[in-house]
Amino acid sequence: MLMGIDVGGTFTDGVLYRAGKIVKSVKKPTEEDNLKNSLLQVLDELLAAEDKEQIQRIVLSTTLVTNSLATGRGEKTAMVLLPGYGLPHDSYELKGDTHFMKGAVDFRGREIEPLDKEEIRDLLDWIKDSGVKRIALAAKFANRNNVHELMLKKRIGEECDGVHVSISSEISGKLNFPRRAATTYFTAMTISEWNRFADQIEAALEHRGIKAEVHVLKADGGTMPLTASRTKPCETVFSGPAASTMGGSALTRDKLNSVVVDVGGTTTDLSLIIAGEPLYASKGAVIENQLTHVNSFAVRSIPLGGDSVITIQGVQSYRLGPAACFGGEQATVTDAFNIHLNLNLGEVSQSQSKLHAIAQELQLDTASLSARIVEEVSQRLLAEVNDMFRQWENEPAYKVWEVINQRKFTLDRVIGIGAAAPALVPALSGLMQVESFIHEYSPVANALGAAVVRPTLSVILHVDTQTKKYTLDPGGIIGTLEKTNNFQMDHARAMARQHLHTIGQELGMEDYTAEADFFLEEQFNMIRGWDRTGKLFEVGIQVSPGFVNEYEGVTI
Amino acid sequence: MKPTGILFFPAFDWAISPTHPEREERLLYTRDQIFEEGIMDLPQIREYKPGLASLKDIARVHFCVPNVEAQITEAHLVSAGSALVMADAVMNGEVKNGFAIIRPPGHHAMTVAHGNRGFCNINNEAIMVEYLRQKHGTKRIAIVDTDVHHGDGTQEIFYHDPEVLFISFHQDGRTLYPGSGFMEEAGGPLAYGTTINIPLLPRTTDTGIHYVLDHLVMPILEEFKPDIIINSAGQDNHYSDPLANMAFSAQGYARLNETLAPDIAVLEGGYSVESALPYINMGIIMAMAGIDYSNLKEPDYSPSRLKEPAGNMERIYQIVDTQLKTFRRRKEVIEKNRRSGEMFKTSHESIFYDTDYISESQRNELRLCPTCGGFRIINSSARHPNGKNYNIACIQLPIYACRSCQEQARDAYTTMNSSDTYDLVYLQDRVKDEYRTTSTRTGEERVL
Repeated sequence: MLMGIDVGGTFTDGVLYRAGKIVKSVKKPTEEDNLKNSLLQVLDELLAAEDKEQIQRIVLSTTLVTNSLATGRGEKTAMVLLPGYGLPHDSYELKGDTHFMKGAVDFRGREIEPLDKEEIRDLLDWIKDSGVKRIALAAKFANRNNVHELMLKKRIGEECDGVHVSISSEISGKLNFPRRAATTYFTAMTISEWNRFADQIEAALEHRGIKAEVHVLKADGGTMPLTASRTKPCETVFSGPAASTMGGSALTRDKLNSVVVDVGGTTTDLSLIIAGEPLYASKGAVIENQLTHVNSFAVRSIPLGGDSVITIQGVQSYRLGPAACFGGEQATVTDAFNIHLNLNLGEVSQSQSKLHAIAQELQLDTASLSARIVEEVSQRLLAEVNDMFRQWENEPAYKVWEVINQRKFTLDRVIGIGAAAPALVPALSGLMQVESFIHEYSPVANALGAAVVRPTLSVILHVDTQTKKYTLDPGGIIGTLEKTNNFQMDHARAMARQHLHTIGQELGMEDYTAEADFFLEEQFNMIRGWDRTGKLFEVGIQVSPGFVNEYEGVTI
Repeated sequence: MKPTGILFFPAFDWAISPTHPEREERLLYTRDQIFEEGIMDLPQIREYKPGLASLKDIARVHFCVPNVEAQITEAHLVSAGSALVMADAVMNGEVKNGFAIIRPPGHHAMTVAHGNRGFCNINNEAIMVEYLRQKHGTKRIAIVDTDVHHGDGTQEIFYHDPEVLFISFHQDGRTLYPGSGFMEEAGGPLAYGTTINIPLLPRTTDTGIHYVLDHLVMPILEEFKPDIIINSAGQDNHYSDPLANMAFSAQGYARLNETLAPDIAVLEGGYSVESALPYINMGIIMAMAGIDYSNLKEPDYSPSRLKEPAGNMERIYQIVDTQLKTFRRRKEVIEKNRRSGEMFKTSHESIFYDTDYISESQRNELRLCPTCGGFRIINSSARHPNGKNYNIACIQLPIYACRSCQEQARDAYTTMNSSDTYDLVYLQDRVKDEYRTTSTRTGEERVL
């Protein structure tokens, strides 16, 4: 049996899944200041239904890290940057204390400027004086050579008691220093709160005698073991939208082009599934207005939900409670859809009377006001969906074949997720002239998505046969090549696959590493004069988002 | 403040040959540097996706033999098309200026295209200029060619065009490919003074080039009053370039672009792929976007090693003096030429295509029109590497052509069509934006 729990902003949803059936589902309001409580309440309710011995795996999705950063609860962290030469240093300034230091390497990982002894002394003194306990350390091109990051981390570790240093080369091996620095900073800020949360969850599960493996959902739509998440809390941001997208994919299980519309009370989240594969944000997740190296789905969140209030000025971007037909005080978007499309939701007369009051002020009848609201909402969502397509089609391209084979998106279907989806989504799909997909379990598809997705893992290997070095992401491992003579793409591929397998084993996901595919293959001959002096390879291999082997769809 | 547009198209899957300077690796380290800097994420920058030029965009500039398809690969369509994307973005006001970091390059490609010259098949800037005139109604255009090699292709294309000012500074043609670009090359009889060559001695540094910029290029631009300034932005004046002998730095390139303030910059040559290009490209982007570039330098940069040889400055003072005069007496010279009494001015050229090993001979006739810049007829013959010999006639009607030039040019096309002197007869009618080719063997006509 598989369990999934998604702690969202408004609701916490949970499902138990076994052999083609959702055995039980739970939906509870989220206690904003006690996410652990909300989670455990849902867990206990799910457990009440079944024998806990039967549970093989629990996957949790939570907004803890996102909330922690948004509310400024993150731990005080100092940033130490080694930007070397290029952009002015002030373009790299993040919030909080930022220290700039000398020391630089280039794109090939060659040192072009050493660390400065006096500056190191000053830094150590400053850390001791200020009492800061968290340091985020990032150097430009540390993904090609992290010698400076390692050296500084060692020195701080030796001389400053109880100070924890996060270094950027361990967080991400991708190019883009500011994104790597920001990701390191957010990691350092949230790592202790996340670890406390993980401790509490582990204790609570042990207390209940649950021995199932526990995973958390990542923004990339895959899971990772709770233990592995302890060093990478940022991977858990935006796992809610990832849960919904994977939920939509879990319910449809085909290769069509879809837009997943997750209609909540306050917001609607849009994501794209292209030929069965969820679309990633090409620049990484945006956290606190900073681009990061967190691999995340391209999700667009619009302040327009089922409970968005209607006034004489039209649809507002806030929520004051449930729809009138469900006992609320205000006319909402759901009420307008209820009247216009004869949905027969809740107390229709309440929808009617609240809308009537507004219509009178506008000298309209209720029916035309409802029609107008439905039109406005549908057009806004449609414009956003079209804009997402266009953005995807206009992503930069760096190879001739990518430009010649222009991307073109033709939408096949709208997948509705969330409580208000059955009301809103069919009208939207009608406007877009494609079919809509609403499932009995659409309201808890997010929790289903969490329950049944498989772990993901991506490994990027960079090889330079001239310097005889290779670097590996994740982990910031830098090694020396044993053999450089006649090193070919096949060797690079085999090496990357081997590393993926080893890392996968450490994460307990060896069942899935065989299903990994290469998503990046670059090779360049290095020519100096008229001779080849070396080769550069960059190879990426990943276990992409998908479902655990036990998942066989949902029959009603 | 509007952002600066960047179109980065490194063509990671295109090379002239595996070890050629124009190979996949050329912009690899530039990619690494600009991506690692994160400069594309800044609000001052907007990144654009490459586009595709149409065959018509190319036919607007070139007489391709035997047709456009034979002279290009898909990479050329993307490279030229990307320059057009940047031009649209600037003209539509989406960005304040734009830099197309694209390859393959184009500034050695001339009007008639039999093959590849100096790594170039088609001329990206020229295609962009004719596109700007046609689609955006741009009138006066200045191209400043900052590549170390003389931009002989661009010069030849606009040699008779009084509306396009072409300024090229480069390493003296006596010491470097293509061996042209001397001060005497100052424009055709009706476009005298709008071609300005600045042949610099080897080892010229930032000091020399900034003197030229401040005392010659900028004053001329001020007097010419172009609607748009294009930087044909080669990067091989750098002290580390393996194919040339100059001594500019990345800082020097950044300052050059700050002073020149081009509306659009288009990458041309530059083959110091590791030691120069990553830093120069950063410098140009930063300068164009108004970002402080004082923290930018090459790892091996040492200002004391780069001193301007005294003789170079002497030469530069002479050039500045001569070329200011050339530019300022252009109207007078043109009027004199117009009144020479001749109907047509004839000249002969022989052109060598170093990459493809083709020798072309040309006969050029320009109508000395009393009102406009005149139309041009080029007779060209060359033997292609496949053994085929082509003898063609090309009639070029500029966009500003007067009514009488239009009539004469179109009549000439009809007349030549029906003779069998030529294998192919072309009419490049920029007034109608219509490009015709007739094969006299089959009588078939193709219109783009």
